[in-house]
Amino acid sequence: MNIDTTERLSDHLVSRREFVKLGSGAVAMLADGTLTKRAFAGRKDRKPKPGNILLIYTDQQHIDTIAAGGCRHVRTPALDRLKTNGVSFTQSYSANPVCSPARSAVFTGRTSCETSVYKNGIPIRSDIPNIGQWFSQHTDYETFYAGKWHLPRTYTSNIPGFEVVNTGIGGFGYLCDTAMSRACKGFIKNRSKSKPFLLVASFMQPHDICEWLRLNMNNPGKLRYPELAGELPGLPDNFQFDKNEPQSTKKRRLGNEPFKGNWDEEHWRYYRWSYYRHIEHLDAEIGRILSALEDRGYIRDTLIVLTSDHGEGMGHHQMVRKSSFYDEAARVPLLFSWPGHIVENKTDAIHLASGLDMVPTLCDYAGIKSPASMRGASLRTILEGDDSERRDYIVSEGNTNTGRMLRTQNFKYIKYVDDPVEQLFDMTNDPGETKNLAADSHHVSALAAHRKLLASHESRLDVPRDVPHTEFWRARG
Amino acid sequence: MAKKQTIVGENLTPTLLKELGAVDKFPQTPASFQPDGNWTNNYRIWTCHGYRESGNQTVGSLQITRNVDSAKTFVLKVRQEISQTDGLTNVVHGTIKCRINKLASPVEWKLSSLFLGTDQREISELSSNEDGQIAEGADRVTGDWCLFEAVQRLAFEKQASLDFDLLEGMSLSKHRHHLSYRGTYPMKTNGGGIPLHCFSQLGRGILPAEYWLDDHHRLLAVISMNKAYILDK
Repeated sequence: MNIDTTERLSDHLVSRREFVKLGSGAVAMLADGTLTKRAFAGRKDRKPKPGNILLIYTDQQHIDTIAAGGCRHVRTPALDRLKTNGVSFTQSYSANPVCSPARSAVFTGRTSCETSVYKNGIPIRSDIPNIGQWFSQHTDYETFYAGKWHLPRTYTSNIPGFEVVNTGIGGFGYLCDTAMSRACKGFIKNRSKSKPFLLVASFMQPHDICEWLRLNMNNPGKLRYPELAGELPGLPDNFQFDKNEPQSTKKRRLGNEPFKGNWDEEHWRYYRWSYYRHIEHLDAEIGRILSALEDRGYIRDTLIVLTSDHGEGMGHHQMVRKSSFYDEAARVPLLFSWPGHIVENKTDAIHLASGLDMVPTLCDYAGIKSPASMRGASLRTILEGDDSERRDYIVSEGNTNTGRMLRTQNFKYIKYVDDPVEQLFDMTNDPGETKNLAADSHHVSALAAHRKLLASHESRLDVPRDVPHTEFWRARG
Repeated sequence: MAKKQTIVGENLTPTLLKELGAVDKFPQTPASFQPDGNWTNNYRIWTCHGYRESGNQTVGSLQITRNVDSAKTFVLKVRQEISQTDGLTNVVHGTIKCRINKLASPVEWKLSSLFLGTDQREISELSSNEDGQIAEGADRVTGDWCLFEAVQRLAFEKQASLDFDLLEGMSLSKHRHHLSYRGTYPMKTNGGGIPLHCFSQLGRGILPAEYWLDDHHRLLAVISMNKAYILDK
């Protein structure tokens, strides 16, 4: 088949590209990173641009779900391939461990409260461009989107700045992702090579674990498939933990299926086994897209990025699902590969990374300035082997703008609105976050320093006044 | 006022499908039905959000037709449609030639994936084709649609089991699968219970799948977590 895809896609795809008029002269501005100068030095050096960019966005993927990363409970050839071909960050955090807010941050480079998306189902505020709009206006990359959007509609044929390749269907990842990856395969196979593309492949899986939880809430008292008994993963090391927690965290835990359904250890372990099967399903669908890139000859000239909106409880702290600031929900996979340009097979356990880094990084690779007021930083220098600089901290927002998590190299600090219980964890000596040190007399200065960092961070944000609790956080600045 | 949402709380079964309104009663199997003969089964693809009152819907269909073409092989014709949001439809159709063995091992196949727009016209830029063949001797492989056929030819006995590698959608390889007979369970109805036979499939890359058959060995439903293929007229 030999078609002029560029023209015909516009005729046949379900959404026309929408352009927005954005202010000119916008410059990249980092509020809190120490990577600023080096990170953006690349533009002047005319560093190479990838022929195409593929952003694979997963939904609810726990960071420890890649066989090549050491997870013994899954087989993930596609994720393994991405990991071994590039750099994977182990200290990578969602900017807000809830679907829509996390997505708003990844696609704009602004914090979720700045975008107005402090909870699910709210659109990004109109004066902040998403990456599709920005690329459409400032690059020659054509921008395409497939799958879950959720800003505000979960699935839609109308996404500003993107042509929608396939919408997907709500809530049913197994069926949705299969059709979505098939659409991406067709898109890649049929596309002419005349123009570079930015394609977002946004998967629903492993989010179907939410349906699994509702369909397995009641503890049956015995394993439905006794033959699985020997292969169920064990409970996580931090299944037991310090119960000195904020009220909202306790409430969330008790409102979830394991406590409503009176789970025993075996049912917890069956849940973990089932979650890994969702991961394997996701992996196979990612593999379909990678194979299409390879078959079409794109694979070596495509920057491939994979991340997730948030993680999954998986029994750590006896949690399921998302929303908490514990690492199981807040930390997410973040993989970059581009053969010959990004360091191969490197696990970066040093640098803190955030979903807020996505836009600055992609803009850096595309050779353009980022939109104004970026809250993250380009990771390009790190991806290309320079380990010399480290940022001081990253911040995640959450819980309908009632919570904050501030992560430094050694500690994690968590604070909620109107809750006297703060949390402080020594992430070096207690990576499982089992002992809250906030009330420990030996950590008074560390607690004060983290409060101060958070206050400083909040004072620089540009949050619409109608976002709840804006004044609370601003007052702390 | 917030909608009432009662969590289902337990695995989907034919009885639960009936409670949730996904099925009233399954079609009666014609006396002429022979699992190893020529037949067509039509399934609705129904999904469940995990609540009793809302979010459960039919999102597509699957038609499988079996035709014997030689003493050693038969042909499955497959057509699956999955509705996407905003009026799009993904259609996968094709033919799979299978060996007449326990697994219905695929010999060769041709499949097409295409997307229909709101006007039901094909969006040709998203279409793709696949074909493949498996050499004789590689008998441990089967496809998910092939299993819809193979399970109808298995005996209802505990010893009836299959070990295989799965070729899902004839394109994604998933290893170490095991299908075994679990027994007979009644599907509760208003007038009592209908005995149904259940096989379960476990393996990498899938959630457990249960195959439910009537006494005539006709496959009435395949249920995997929140997804069910339900035999239609």
